[in-house]
Amino acid sequence: MAARAKPLPMPEPRSAFSRASLSDRLIVALALICTFIAFSPFAYAALTSLKSEWKDGSILPFIQFEPSMQNWQTEFGSGGPETFKALRNSTLISLGATIVATSLGTLAGYGLARFKYGIGNRNLVSWFLSQRFLPPVATLIPFVLMFRDLKLLDTLPGMVIVNATFTLPFAVLIMRDYFADLPSELREAALVDGASEFTTFMRIALPLARPALVASTLICFAFAWNEFLFASVLANRDWKPYPMLVAGSDTVRGIDFGFVTTRMLIAVTVPVILSLMVQRFIVRGLTFGAVKG
Amino acid sequence: MTNNRAKYYFLMPGVIWILAFTLFPLLYSFGLSLTNYRLGRNPKYIGFENYAEILGIGDEKVDKKAVSTASFSAFLFLGSTATTLFFGTFVAWVFNHNLPFLRQMRAVITMPLFAAPIALGWLGVVLFNEQSGPINNVLEGIGLGRVNWFIEPMPARFAVMLTDVWQWTPFVFIVVLAAMQSVPDDLYESAQLDTKSNWVLFRWITFPMIAPALGTVMLLRMVESLKIIDIPYSLTRGGPGSVTQTYVYYAYETGLVGSFQLGEAAALAYLMVVVSIVITSIYFYRVRERFE
Repeated sequence: MAARAKPLPMPEPRSAFSRASLSDRLIVALALICTFIAFSPFAYAALTSLKSEWKDGSILPFIQFEPSMQNWQTEFGSGGPETFKALRNSTLISLGATIVATSLGTLAGYGLARFKYGIGNRNLVSWFLSQRFLPPVATLIPFVLMFRDLKLLDTLPGMVIVNATFTLPFAVLIMRDYFADLPSELREAALVDGASEFTTFMRIALPLARPALVASTLICFAFAWNEFLFASVLANRDWKPYPMLVAGSDTVRGIDFGFVTTRMLIAVTVPVILSLMVQRFIVRGLTFGAVKG
Repeated sequence: MTNNRAKYYFLMPGVIWILAFTLFPLLYSFGLSLTNYRLGRNPKYIGFENYAEILGIGDEKVDKKAVSTASFSAFLFLGSTATTLFFGTFVAWVFNHNLPFLRQMRAVITMPLFAAPIALGWLGVVLFNEQSGPINNVLEGIGLGRVNWFIEPMPARFAVMLTDVWQWTPFVFIVVLAAMQSVPDDLYESAQLDTKSNWVLFRWITFPMIAPALGTVMLLRMVESLKIIDIPYSLTRGGPGSVTQTYVYYAYETGLVGSFQLGEAAALAYLMVVVSIVITSIYFYRVRERFE
């Protein structure tokens, strides 16, 4: 590999870190610094959330400040009804959007992977992806008027539609890529046996695509969970999702850092955990298949 | 390809969805941009007057706020894209070594990518806090002195950019790492006979091999950087003044806060749509073979 200062005649035992060369140690040190930079803000937030009052940047619990669960108790205790309602809203909205996006995405992905369409498959794919490239405000403005006329403002179906629309590209791409990599002989054999296209899809392709289905589901869910912009306009009362509470953290009692970081951590926990489960699909999903992971 | 009708059944639900919820709103938005619509008033067709007002065509004066917010968006477009590409590639180079523990650390590095940007803005409020935030504490500790992140224009712009960079560097990292790992080992092995320099190996082997992936990820970052709104929304509220207001944030504010000038906001947004379409076309031109 590029790191090794000189090629060694024999393979070096990698497990024995003590025998690693100087440049290897340097690389591990750099990797630790990178990891620290990525992770430390979360850790700092976690420590801040354990402070009942903001004391000048102290970070060591027990030594510099007495840790307390007060912020967490407020968020789930006295502020509980609002918190739980927002978390429920977020869950239902993300779940609904994920189901719609993954269902439509799986069907379209299969079609794009298995058939040739007159308009050109490439054009169709770019068409499906275009939503991710457009500035959200451009569709948000008409959505306000459409939803007002359709009585979808501040409703679950309205929020599901919005979130399904902008997570659909992920689902289409992840599923298309996976179906395209499945051997086409399986499908052909089933068709020869007299199965219809739809039966072949349901009985042969879909069960094989389970890993991609899981990945698509988790990625769609995570992105719907994080959506704030549309919610801020289209659902600001009954169907307010959790990011809306996060956004309004300062209006409750000024900027209380312990409180703000508590909400911030609650908001990021779900998508971050989900992302750790789909590492394998992240690259393809997020580059829309342009780079194979 | 025996059953010609079945294939349309697979595609249709998705196509109808996109027609209804992406294409239709886009056309609707264009229609709105040709009116003087304000919420609660009757819209009147005014042709391209909104566009003329923004761009300062004809008798109109150019919309100064559109220009200043667009310049901040341009700052993020260049600054955030370049910085994430640089750091992401560097981190990928570090992690593209076969050493213990790297795999475990890799997953941790991708964590910021999936956090809600609106929440990261708040995290930034805590981290960049001028009196007691850790960033200023560290800067003071190493002798650089405290920075007024939220009071002075340039530091405020950098605070927004750095928060975005922190979130998106992992994205460049995982994509570039994937590209680096597909470089055949024997290329390095034969080159190592001639040189010992890591830089020479990177410059003449790794870099040419990952260039296509870098191009792809650069275009994706460019498009995403133009969409930034959540982070300044919670981190700086666009301030001080409006120096950290992005162009899309300005469109959002024009149409959906206060006076609800939907026609004008639609025109603002549509100008950005044109920019996005240009970048998107380049992107799809580059990756066209992948989707045939």
